[in-house]
Amino acid sequence: MPEHQGSRRALSQRQAALILLLPFMAVYGLFLVYPFFKGVWISLHDWNLMAVAFNPDAKTYVGLRNYERVMWGRDITWGALANPGFQIVGFLGMVASYLLYRSGRAGRVTALAMGIAALLLFVLPGFHPDAGGRWFDRRFWPTVGNTILFVGLAVPGVTVTAMLLAAALDGETRAKAVLRTLFFLSQVLSVTVVTLIWQIMFSPRQGLIANLTELFGGSPVVWLTAEGFAMAAIVIATIWWSLGIAMILFLAGLQDISKDLYEAGALDNATGAKAFWHITLPNLKRTITVVVVLQIILHFQVFGQSHLMTNGGPNDTTQVLVRYIYQTAFRDSELGRASAMAVFLFVIMGAFSILQFVLGRETEE
Amino acid sequence: MSGVTLENVIKTYGDVQVIHGIDLQVENGEFCVFVGPSGCGKSTLMRMVAGLEETTSGQITIGGRDVTRLDPSQRGVAMVFQTYALYPHMTVAENMGFGLRMNGVPKDQITTKVAEAARILKLDPLLDRKPKALSGGQRQRVAIGRTIVRGPEVFLFDEPLSNLDAELRVDMRVEIAALHKQLGATMIYVTHDQVEAMTLADKIVVLRDGRVEQVGAPLDLYRDPDNRFVAGFIGSPAMNFLGGQVAAGALSIPALPGAPALPVGLPPDDTRIEFGIRPEHVRIDPDGHGFRLDLIEKLGGISYAYLYATTGERLIVAEDGETTLSGDTDVGIRFDPARAFLFDAKTGKRLR
Repeated sequence: MPEHQGSRRALSQRQAALILLLPFMAVYGLFLVYPFFKGVWISLHDWNLMAVAFNPDAKTYVGLRNYERVMWGRDITWGALANPGFQIVGFLGMVASYLLYRSGRAGRVTALAMGIAALLLFVLPGFHPDAGGRWFDRRFWPTVGNTILFVGLAVPGVTVTAMLLAAALDGETRAKAVLRTLFFLSQVLSVTVVTLIWQIMFSPRQGLIANLTELFGGSPVVWLTAEGFAMAAIVIATIWWSLGIAMILFLAGLQDISKDLYEAGALDNATGAKAFWHITLPNLKRTITVVVVLQIILHFQVFGQSHLMTNGGPNDTTQVLVRYIYQTAFRDSELGRASAMAVFLFVIMGAFSILQFVLGRETEE
Repeated sequence: MSGVTLENVIKTYGDVQVIHGIDLQVENGEFCVFVGPSGCGKSTLMRMVAGLEETTSGQITIGGRDVTRLDPSQRGVAMVFQTYALYPHMTVAENMGFGLRMNGVPKDQITTKVAEAARILKLDPLLDRKPKALSGGQRQRVAIGRTIVRGPEVFLFDEPLSNLDAELRVDMRVEIAALHKQLGATMIYVTHDQVEAMTLADKIVVLRDGRVEQVGAPLDLYRDPDNRFVAGFIGSPAMNFLGGQVAAGALSIPALPGAPALPVGLPPDDTRIEFGIRPEHVRIDPDGHGFRLDLIEKLGGISYAYLYATTGERLIVAEDGETTLSGDTDVGIRFDPARAFLFDAKTGKRLR
């Protein structure tokens, strides 16, 4: 390295790093860290949006009472079979993850993550109000359930569709390039446009889907206001909307698989579906993990689809967490309670972020 | 085990023809090496035998069976790739047994065959490892093991050693030769390294621009090349060539005054020719003249002297390792005219 002239002026590496980091740290602190802690702080107060806006002193510290008001109830008890469906699945999941770990089929972190998920599935649905008791907020847990249902449908939907599309469109023909662009195009639309398009698609009078069902002799479904169909409708719209990024990630993953492997596969009598199952899928494992975790984090924040297509209805079946937070804060002006819910959402997404980080490190070993 | 026959095999990509009607017979149990400079079509030709490239026209038979239009897995061939092409998510044992698994062979049979191949290649302690945890040489062995387990009629090797370091390459070369001896199977081996070709082959096929230049046993090609290309390609360091022409019924080679009398029939006057002599068939005459000794590379057992003729043409001479000659001196050369070759400069054909 050449020696610096006028070393008095030169910055040490640490100083240079600090100066270069400063703009980012300032913006990050101002718009992310500070609002986050402010949010946590608000969640510990009885904080009416309107009242505090006009009089900053119109708030009272209430400790964790907002969390209690949102998540707890009167005379709540726990039973191992209060909600047998979920709890049995959760119990079996715990056993399965232990066995998988013991037999060496699952890595330590994977087994641990699976086990924790199963444990939560076993424990959480077991809470219920006794006879005469009740939840303080009857809508909160069903809303959380709707959100999880939405994530549980949208994430596998997006992942599987995007992977199949990527496998079909991986290649160098012009048609494939055009189709790739077309399928990615929906991603650039804003949620308002997407929901508008799909409201028309699902419309029972002039919608494409209604036309198709009528063509085959069925009576059109009133998708957005039928209880069994509304959630399916917003999941379908979401899959169509967020296919692009997942597809691009899968395409990148596919390009990373050496063509030699497929030639070796051809000599080993593994072509077509066999090659996809035995060569493509195992080599896409990392990409699948990334896509799934990113989608989970993304879709837990669903808001627009539910807000614009169904208004959370019918009968609250598409009410999702962010929409409930939004309504609690800005319609009911209960900023403290809304913040408590937001912190709850943060904990869920934080857990998945940590999971992604850990899985990313595990596969690099 | 069985031989491979190519009849007028042609490959075109769009309008470009890359393999120009090759006829070739690889005998049962033979070790046949395709050799040539990069882009000569040697890999393409092997991949056509494997079925990884479609054959545009012509016929390929393996063991008397026409396989020209069959899928790769139906041809009874197994291949070792330059990049090894091991399945990264499978253990060594799973890699080796995958072909059998895909063909519905029962599990216990697969285990037996994998164990057998692992024993031959000394892979037993590595069977539970993933390819990532293996060294280059070990991966190469697993790739070879995978072909052995398949028990094919023909083994194909596509430049299998070019990703290994020099020392390992020599070891693996010896191992592959031993393997061929042990299995007695038909093997086709592609390389651009003529040393590998010379040491491994029963039969060498020299290819250039999608055509066969010459086919023969290694030493036959060395002793009796058909043309200037084969003469220059086989042998290391390469044969020396000096330009000249026929004048008044005699050879005139400006770099070699006092034209040597070669035992060949000379073409008509004014034909431009090339005179070829291998480095190992020339001796330096310290008292002679006509060449400037530029420098000497001493390799221990042997030394290579770089000589320049008055015409500027370069001549490499293999000298004894203990030579006392030194650079920048004026020397002459001696050689046995019977060891020299004469080629037509225009067509490259050998003049006999």
